[in-house]
Amino acid sequence: MVTLNINQKNYQVDADPDMPLLWAIRDLVGLTGTKYGCGVAQCGACVVHLNGEAVRSCVTKVKRAVGQKVVTIEGLSKNNDHPLQLAWQQIDVPQCGYCHSGQLMSAAELLREKPDPTDQDIDDAMAGNICRCGTYLRIRKAIHLAADMQRNGVKKA
Amino acid sequence: MVVKENHLSRRKFLKYTGGAGICLWLGLSSEGLLAKTKDIGTAKNFSPFILVESNGSITIFNSKPEMGQGTFQAIPAIMAEEFEVSLDKVNIKLTDGESKFGRQSAGGSSSIRSNYDSFRKVGAAAKAVFITAAANKWRVDESTCYAENAKVFHKPTNKSFTYGELVEDASKLEMPKEPKLKDPKDFKILGKMAKRPDVPLKTNGKAQFGIDITVPGMRYSTVERCPVIGGTLKSFDATEALKVPGVEKVMEVEKIMGKYHSTGVAVIAQTYWAAMQGRKKLKIEWDNKGFETFNSADYENHLRELAKEEGIIDKNIGSVDTLTIAPENSIEAFYETPMVAHSPLEVMNCIAQVQGDKLEIWTSTQVPSSITSGGATFGFANENITLHTTFVGGGFGRRLYIDYIIEAVNIAKQFDKPVKLIWTREDTTDCGPYRPMTFSQLKGGFSDDGKLIALQHKVIAPSLRQSGSDKYDAAKVDGSMVEGIGEQAYEIPNIKTSYVRADFHVPLAAWRSVTSSTLSFAHECFIDELAYKAKKDPMEFRLSMLTKDSDLKRVLLKLKEFSNWDKALLNGKGRGVAQWEFFAGLGAHVVEVTYNKDKSIRVDKVYAVIDLGKVVNPDNVKNQVEGAIVMALGAATKPGITLENGKVMQHNFYDNTMVRINEMPEIEVLVLTDGGKMKGVGEPGLPPFAPALANAIFAATGKRIRKMPFDISNV
Amino acid sequence: MTKHSERRFQIFPLKTIGTVAVFLLAIALMTSGFKEEKKVNVTPAAGFDAAKDSTASVDAFMQVYKVLMSPRCMNCHPSGDRPLQGNDSHIHTMNVQRGKEGKGLYALKCTNCHQPENAETNHAPPGNPKWQLPPANMKMVFQGRSAHDLALQIMDYNRNGHKNKAMLLEHARDTIVKAGWHMGEGRPAPPLAYNEFVKVWDTWINNGGYAPEK
Repeated sequence: MVTLNINQKNYQVDADPDMPLLWAIRDLVGLTGTKYGCGVAQCGACVVHLNGEAVRSCVTKVKRAVGQKVVTIEGLSKNNDHPLQLAWQQIDVPQCGYCHSGQLMSAAELLREKPDPTDQDIDDAMAGNICRCGTYLRIRKAIHLAADMQRNGVKKA
Repeated sequence: MVVKENHLSRRKFLKYTGGAGICLWLGLSSEGLLAKTKDIGTAKNFSPFILVESNGSITIFNSKPEMGQGTFQAIPAIMAEEFEVSLDKVNIKLTDGESKFGRQSAGGSSSIRSNYDSFRKVGAAAKAVFITAAANKWRVDESTCYAENAKVFHKPTNKSFTYGELVEDASKLEMPKEPKLKDPKDFKILGKMAKRPDVPLKTNGKAQFGIDITVPGMRYSTVERCPVIGGTLKSFDATEALKVPGVEKVMEVEKIMGKYHSTGVAVIAQTYWAAMQGRKKLKIEWDNKGFETFNSADYENHLRELAKEEGIIDKNIGSVDTLTIAPENSIEAFYETPMVAHSPLEVMNCIAQVQGDKLEIWTSTQVPSSITSGGATFGFANENITLHTTFVGGGFGRRLYIDYIIEAVNIAKQFDKPVKLIWTREDTTDCGPYRPMTFSQLKGGFSDDGKLIALQHKVIAPSLRQSGSDKYDAAKVDGSMVEGIGEQAYEIPNIKTSYVRADFHVPLAAWRSVTSSTLSFAHECFIDELAYKAKKDPMEFRLSMLTKDSDLKRVLLKLKEFSNWDKALLNGKGRGVAQWEFFAGLGAHVVEVTYNKDKSIRVDKVYAVIDLGKVVNPDNVKNQVEGAIVMALGAATKPGITLENGKVMQHNFYDNTMVRINEMPEIEVLVLTDGGKMKGVGEPGLPPFAPALANAIFAATGKRIRKMPFDISNV
Repeated sequence: MTKHSERRFQIFPLKTIGTVAVFLLAIALMTSGFKEEKKVNVTPAAGFDAAKDSTASVDAFMQVYKVLMSPRCMNCHPSGDRPLQGNDSHIHTMNVQRGKEGKGLYALKCTNCHQPENAETNHAPPGNPKWQLPPANMKMVFQGRSAHDLALQIMDYNRNGHKNKAMLLEHARDTIVKAGWHMGEGRPAPPLAYNEFVKVWDTWINNGGYAPEK
């Protein structure tokens, strides 16, 4: 048994220390917002925050996360109201939606470090996240909008 | 129409709404969610699609799977418009393949265009009985009553009843078969930009896809399949696999994809991770059936050879064979395209449980009806199949096929608990089905004044239909392999299209826009070649073939204006145009590119026009066209699927690469709703892109691209 | 005729790090026969005493060079600000950037994918606790460097990450260097066994850290 701290809650899970964090989060803890897309850190669907960094849980072993703070998409905000989530909703970014947990977690890390990102910053932060539906232009637009919301407060649509 | 009792018992209703893992009752508005926890009282169906409860709660059933194309908003919107309810105050539920909802599938860009009128009638008929019920209660004339915001009002007195208050009475009335529909100018929802109600669920991880479902007692499974396509299992040794902690069972399992049957080895374990570890320990001998010598490069040579054959005539209009055209007025060209994988981000997965003669399935699918009516395939009576659908993490045609569901069912038949089968990304990439490659031989000639007078298009390709069924008649043209090539609106007096079929053993599938995604490339690039040969502007050359009124003429004229076609570009830049009209609809794009000093091409901007006739949610249409362009950009410029020694050489996103955000061009979409035939949304944005890009590259570089994929980092 | 410059790489006996930089002229930059003379500023790594065997040193470096230019080493010492990837040393996909500290940027930091250890899964990113590029202010570029230039660069205190002789010797024993020989399936090790590499590295440095001729 190991203890994982996810979204500020401790979970006792019976996980092989070498099990990817992704499967522990999904199958053992039951938080399914974090997605499997490739298993080899290519697509970004599984991005979670590990001590604030946007790690790919499909290649991060459980033993790296033990004793650390993990935040998943379910913990990005309490009420689905992180500026990025609001911007995503305002712009209707997702199509199928499968990749967007990862997109949002990557974008959140970008905004944490660079509250006013340029298009280049967005490319530098987000090119690790694949969206097969091709919503990239909306992702870009929504990140700018979220940055604006962070600076100037949320404007209702 | 007879009003039926709601089939959901109160007990079942609560089970569904209780937030358990298997629940898919997607209560959306806070009001809607609240309503479900209240006492429900009476609940009545008004047609199978609308459920009204005496507490005021309204549910609309969406029978077209939501895979990102927006049906979750668009289908209920059509009913809500006529029913006079606001979409943010209703619950929306995905249907589970129940026959009462009619055909439930999403494909061919047909969800809206094929159901727009019928769903309007459903909403209007339901509204009619609520108005009648209210009028009866007030003992007033119906014509003095109107519905708005889930209430019926008596105009002279401004009295009102909520739908909830009327449900009992309304349910006793017969719904009119031909209800009066609203005047489109009074639309409050249709044609307006609207937020999609599934989006908030997709920003906090709450949206459930097939892979997210958990069923009590469930086990996990993974399958090792023959790496040589066409091969199957000879024997296996599970001794080591069974020693992996958590692994419970190892078994043979058959998969059926179209006409292809193959057997793999399934590992069942308590966790998916354990199943994967067990799979690595399997010792398997495969029977490659002789396919281990197959190379797609050889097959491409074979297709080039086959181009010499006459093939089967598809269309022969005018006198292409006897026409004499001066050599300086005619050209020939050969175009080639690759196989590609659909690669939805949600990998193939399915949960199946067999209990006696009953089968229960939880999955992401584009075709719920094929599953609930697929008893013969699964070996169960149709009425013993229960399906639970979910949001679909990308379809693109891949989930029109039920191969992965058959495989999951075949595992469940051999196990006493529900089993969740998850394909890895590699599984999802490696074993098909794929979009077929098409090779095209084209000949064309124009008159001395530069008008296209003859066009010949021969398609050399394997057959989609033959891949799907043993009963395919090889003497006939597979219409899906010559899709649209003889049916463009261009007025060409002499046109001949034909098909040379090539045998193939790799499973094939419809891929977003089917063969229009490859044939448009050949056709529209060749039209461009002819334009340049005739020394005509490519846009004008096309318009010169459109003297009569047509949707295409209207679209191209709009596109010309929208894209500033006549405005000169800077040196080193080029623009290209292409259009495509096919079963799904009509789109036309202008692409602008820059030819860089390092010989790379930057795709600067895409001007896209889509012609719809009528639109439900214009912003969603734009999202779809943007996505179609991204998918087309990938298919045009990234490696396709190739085979060596019988095995697929691409496995995951490191070699089956996808467009990423840093490669994005600017995209501007114009949605035309000038009336006319209603057309589809999901696919028509795709076929014009690759030819428009290749044509733009020609304009910028003088280099004609006739083979997809092409490398834009070095042109 | 030796394979190295007639004028050997001059070594100043600087005993401590941080000694005022000394600019050397025309060190080891001349083709044999002194046909041309270029001026380059090099601050030699500290810790080198009197000259030793220039031939042995240069011979050793040519072996070292093969290793350094192999994808396992060069991929993280790119000429641009994006790491390289794969046995063909293509530019790393996903638009990964060096970043100021050499650790990537934002959601694309090296260690978001590259774990402290290799994964068992084929094609998963190779791992090491120190996975990173050289930082932006000390890029230590290998890609495109001739043997001559690379030797000079490594011996240049101002371009080698401020390493003196002892630190240079130690560097070959660093976990991140060792990792080059254990990057998992599909990633062939450099063209010399690790122990051999350490031997030639030491030989090169202990014999004066000579640069091969241009």
